[in-house]
Amino acid sequence: MEVFGDLAGGFATALHPINMAMLFVAVVLGLVIGVLPGLGGTSGVAILLPITVFIAHGSLPGSDATTAIIFLAGIYWGALFGGVITSILFNIPGEPWAVVLLFDGFPLAKRLGKPGLALSSSFVSSFLGALVSTILFTFFALPIALKALEFGPAELFAVFLLSFATLIGLGAEAPMKSVAMLALGLLLAAVGFDTITGEQRLNFGQVSLLSGIGFVPVTIGLFGIGEILASAEEQGIGFVENIPARLGLTDVFEALRELRKRLRLVLSNAIIGFFFGVLPGHGATAASFLGYGLARQYSSNKENFGKGEISGIMGPQAAADSAGVASLVPMITLGIPGSPTSAVIMAGLFIWGLQPGPVLFIQHPDFVWGLIASIYLGHLLTFILCLLAVPLLAMIMRVPYAIITPFIVVISIIGSYSLNNSMLDVFITVVFGLIGYWLRKMKYPLAPLVVALVLGDSTERELRKALIAGHGSPLYFFNSALSTVLIVAAVVLVLIPLVRTIRARRRGAAQAAVAHP
Amino acid sequence: MVVLIAAVAMFDSRAAFSPSAGTAPGDVGARWYPFWAASIMGVASVIVGYRALTTPQGAEGAFEGSRSLFAVLKLAVPMLAYALLIGGIKWRTTDFTYTVIPPFGFYLSTALYMSLFAWWLGRYKVWWVGAIAVAFPIVIFAVFELGFRVSLPKSFLYETGVLPF
Repeated sequence: MEVFGDLAGGFATALHPINMAMLFVAVVLGLVIGVLPGLGGTSGVAILLPITVFIAHGSLPGSDATTAIIFLAGIYWGALFGGVITSILFNIPGEPWAVVLLFDGFPLAKRLGKPGLALSSSFVSSFLGALVSTILFTFFALPIALKALEFGPAELFAVFLLSFATLIGLGAEAPMKSVAMLALGLLLAAVGFDTITGEQRLNFGQVSLLSGIGFVPVTIGLFGIGEILASAEEQGIGFVENIPARLGLTDVFEALRELRKRLRLVLSNAIIGFFFGVLPGHGATAASFLGYGLARQYSSNKENFGKGEISGIMGPQAAADSAGVASLVPMITLGIPGSPTSAVIMAGLFIWGLQPGPVLFIQHPDFVWGLIASIYLGHLLTFILCLLAVPLLAMIMRVPYAIITPFIVVISIIGSYSLNNSMLDVFITVVFGLIGYWLRKMKYPLAPLVVALVLGDSTERELRKALIAGHGSPLYFFNSALSTVLIVAAVVLVLIPLVRTIRARRRGAAQAAVAHP
Repeated sequence: MVVLIAAVAMFDSRAAFSPSAGTAPGDVGARWYPFWAASIMGVASVIVGYRALTTPQGAEGAFEGSRSLFAVLKLAVPMLAYALLIGGIKWRTTDFTYTVIPPFGFYLSTALYMSLFAWWLGRYKVWWVGAIAVAFPIVIFAVFELGFRVSLPKSFLYETGVLPF
């Protein structure tokens, strides 16, 4: 098959010394970011995004855009694994997708006294989940991309619409909040020159706003600074629990035996996680909760859940890692991010001068296949590092707050400054940091905002191209069967929360209040 | 509870009065798209605001006591000051530019900022604070200026030739 030849080429690219070196650095950074509770994977990727510009433009000997994406993606893989360590050993989630691990991971470590088994079960299931997802990625990516190459503006707009609708219809937060955040993202993306007529808009006469509000300073602010501020509030709590981490070979073998017993659960969760991750905007966090629910649903001993049941670790971990990998699939093939983290990675592609989407497969096959090969290698590397270095990683939690917090602020500010050497970007970062903190506080979802911000320009361009082609008639969108189906699906998705509300209303006013807190 | 509602209402008004005021739906060109984005956002946030007002809230406000508010401010205020120190503040009038805060540049500001935290929140001994103030800028210089060849903003003393950074 052609795929194997491409993949072999990808491995040749990914195994290049500079790419391997950067993958190693990225995975270590990702693990550190994952372990730190105040800093999530999305924030880590956003803060380090400006650095990749220098990597992509060859600051390091032999580095190019492929090195840059391997680096960014590697941080994500590290963070996917690293958050678990904090959950299991400290009873604090290191990452949003590791929250589920508090239910069974921590009890297994603490009450049953098996931290090594808890950690190694999570690592083996993560690794297997990611492996399944990467294999699916390898075989699905090219066909999807080739199909997407035939898309015109109507189909493209319909795909964008569908991804926005998924964010609204399947989001965890109140749907109206998602709508507001989506619209804010589109609005922010519209600042500056209009992409079709070149007219100036929303710049309030400021020359500095003409080039638009940069994605990078905004996301560094929303995620990096916003998260730091949000976690500052919880600092008074301190670390109540701390289980000494030991991880021996016996633990790994025991975890593998437990994995064999639960192979069906882990594999099916990995496959479900993949398809869940492909949907825009959700990624690993939602998948981890779904995975936990499924593991519980199909377990013969439900009463063990919450008391240290291994299925309660393996189920969500397989789904979460699988979804994390899968969230890159729509980004690479269609130019639509599958999760906030992949939205940030996608912004990276724009900045390095690449167009995410099907054309990548034609114009830069070595980039795409290098990335896919690096997912295999990155996960293998993360897995090995996790098994070897858990005690070392747990020590990161001892780095004092008074040093790590200002340091993250400093790195964020360097990042937002260095992209355009602009102090305005630094202020945008600080201001959006405060906004990001406030939005978290008010329980507004950030995913729709980031996805809309990165997709805003292309959505508007395709919409207006389609309207121009159709001489201003919206009926143009229903000329092709595919775009009709997609638009209908989008409308249905948006209506889901509404239908749910009406049903809840019928069941009584009390329940309606629960549906919309 | 009052704080929470006020916050939502504030958020509302900010959303509703946001740039849509400057964009009319008349010209179906560059203005059309941002106008609709703004109006959707306005409508959505009004609904959210209405829900927040009509749904019974818990007794606690947006901040759990003044301590957590203080914890956030402790981080937010130095951060703003830090950003202002790097670039400095200039007040421009038509014939003269007044310098309110001279640009301290990246390295001096970072030394100040990091040592402030070490001294104030970390309560370290003076020599540790000093070591942090010196070590972090040097490491950052090595990684970013030498490694990635990023030129970070220099201080006003660099302009006059007093300091090399």
